Amino acid sequence: MVSKLNPILVNTLLAFLCGLLLLWSSFAFPGLVRAMVDRWGAALYLPEIPALELRTLVQATGNWVMERKGLQARNGELELENLALRTALQQTLAPEPQSASEMIGARVTLRYPDAWWKEIRVNRGIRHGVRVGAPALSDGFIIGKVVRVGADYAWIELVTSSSFLLAAVVDDTWDLGVINGDDRGNIWLLYTPPEKEFQRGMIISTALVGDYLPPGIPIGKIWGQGELRDGFMPQKVVSGAHLTQLYTVQILHTGDAGGSSD
Amino acid sequence: MILSALAWLIQDFLQVLVTSLILTPEIFLLISLYKLVSEPMPQRRAAKWIWFVFCGGVLWDLRWASVPGVSGLLNVAALAAVCWVWGRTPAGGRGAVLFAAIAGGAHLFSGVIHYLAWASPGQAAMRTFAVQQLLMIPVLALLSAIYAFKASKTHV
Repeated sequence: MVSKLNPILVNTLLAFLCGLLLLWSSFAFPGLVRAMVDRWGAALYLPEIPALELRTLVQATGNWVMERKGLQARNGELELENLALRTALQQTLAPEPQSASEMIGARVTLRYPDAWWKEIRVNRGIRHGVRVGAPALSDGFIIGKVVRVGADYAWIELVTSSSFLLAAVVDDTWDLGVINGDDRGNIWLLYTPPEKEFQRGMIISTALVGDYLPPGIPIGKIWGQGELRDGFMPQKVVSGAHLTQLYTVQILHTGDAGGSSD
Repeated sequence: MILSALAWLIQDFLQVLVTSLILTPEIFLLISLYKLVSEPMPQRRAAKWIWFVFCGGVLWDLRWASVPGVSGLLNVAALAAVCWVWGRTPAGGRGAVLFAAIAGGAHLFSGVIHYLAWASPGQAAMRTFAVQQLLMIPVLALLSAIYAFKASKTHV
């Protein structure tokens, strides 16, 4: 009769019985169960070493990444703070420009980020002798010209502005051209003949074109050729002034020669 | 049985990796169930599997639970239930979907009993339980796909 019993059913019941016995013994003999747990844990120690090592590695990597992220964030904060402090220090330390007989010293008071290469505002205006069209210089190089002027302020259009146009001459060859910007920090000398070979480093200066702008004010140096356009070969020019760090400028005093203001 | 033993070790390996984070799915139980249904198995051999999964459950409890025997009992119950359902299903109906359903059901049953047996079945325990059941899905999908592939090869 026993042989006719379903072996799956019999073994299932026996296994259940063993399981219940084991459960009972785990409560009745906790010491025995603890000993079994310890022995089985010890037996698994070696096979589990790779997993433990991998886990440690993953945790260490995670910690490293988190720490690095935190340090980077902190570094960014410190850099910003440092920049702000340095800018404040420079503005404080920058001496109030002295007005020479022909030059009006002015401090840059505003430079919009979205018009970074187009214009700046300075703290000198009509009352100080600033007139529209007057050239502005930095480090002895022309950096723009006054386009609007108030009683105590003036707006200077930079040479890097796309609307800036200024007649210029290559000092070494006497070739004439027009200085123009592109609103992205570049300066070009336009309308130069393509057959002319300009050398890198040749000085560009202002040409005589008006009352407010005397000739011979240096603008910058030729840096390279552009692409042939409309039969002319534009020349890339680098300004002699540090256009990214304009804290003070000199505006040429043009007397009472006229000019509009706003 | 070698494959199931390996599955036990893999499950243990993964549990070591994710200890205190989540519970690994019952890979050992799922692969044992897969082996049981994927090969023609005489009753005497199936009876050996019952003891095999029982031992696997007891060893799992000895490693990861304070009360040995619960997993062994649950594994045996799951295996017996699967055997019973599988044996009473006509050969034409024994497909991957049925396997996925009964193996998934067995896994869910085991998970629920373990969840209820935990000392503090709170929100964290519920989350652990849910994640374990979700992690079971890809394992079960893989085993079902293998079963379907093997079945299509056998029938062709």
